[in-house]
Amino acid sequence: MAVDDALRASLQDEVGVEHVESLGEISATLTRRYAAAVGERDPLYHDVAYAQSLGYANVLAPPNFLPGVINWGEGAPYDRLREDGTEADTHLPGVPAKGVRVMGGGEEMHFTRPVVAGTVVARRTVLLDVNERETRQGAMLVARYADEYLDESGDELLRSVRTVLLR
Amino acid sequence: MTPKELRVGSVHDPATNETSIVQVFRYSAATWNTHRIHYDKDYATTEGYPGVLVQSHLHGAFLTKYCTDLAGRDATLRDLSLRVKKFAVAGESLTVVGTVSAVRPGEPGRALLDLTLVETRGSDDEVCVEGTATLDVPLTWIDEGAVV
Repeated sequence: MAVDDALRASLQDEVGVEHVESLGEISATLTRRYAAAVGERDPLYHDVAYAQSLGYANVLAPPNFLPGVINWGEGAPYDRLREDGTEADTHLPGVPAKGVRVMGGGEEMHFTRPVVAGTVVARRTVLLDVNERETRQGAMLVARYADEYLDESGDELLRSVRTVLLR
Repeated sequence: MTPKELRVGSVHDPATNETSIVQVFRYSAATWNTHRIHYDKDYATTEGYPGVLVQSHLHGAFLTKYCTDLAGRDATLRDLSLRVKKFAVAGESLTVVGTVSAVRPGEPGRALLDLTLVETRGSDDEVCVEGTATLDVPLTWIDEGAVV
């Protein structure tokens, strides 16, 4: 499909629309796996007793864990995957199921408070804007999504603006 | 660069991450990232890449780790921004280096340390990622007179 009027319209319709998603409880297994995958061996992310000695109830998640996770659910059925393997129904409001290539282009993160394993988290997402660029491979859309991660009390844990490249 | 020596222009020691297909797979698994470009070399080729790509968030994780390693227990990472400029395929060595760009007043006894971050790939020294970070650090880390 590449970039066409349908994709432009689909994204423009989403600009400013707020989506709130419960991410559930952030388990220590998830955060430890994330730390292991990165190569992070700091005991603050692995050792409960060590984390407690510093005053935390449980191990911490590495700071960019929350925005690093692409999908917090069980995963879409295979017939709801885009050609590139990404899930059609989640994560990127305004992006259609098929025919578009998706890449990460960067992120701005503000770490408001440490994320302790066991915290129940929700994410509020808004598509801020969409701009078009010409590249050697043709037209590319640059979409910026604002995400805010909140705990059960509604207090902010982290906020970010992520740039997604579509072509 | 060590505490008590920080001022604008100070360069912190570089840190190199030796990426691998296994690491890229594990990062996709840990983040439920099903994008084929990170595990299907044939698919990655159809998009014009010579191999499976390091995720943009994994680049971000390397920058994050660089900053938190610098911060230790006495400082805190407040902000991190990054922009991916060139791709890296699994197997690349990715080296992060940070330079102090500003030292600003913080809470009493503290300072805000701004860093510019660059991540380069070892195969050709191309810059893959540019970033900035702000750390909240003890004032004792800062060279006297360096806060502006």
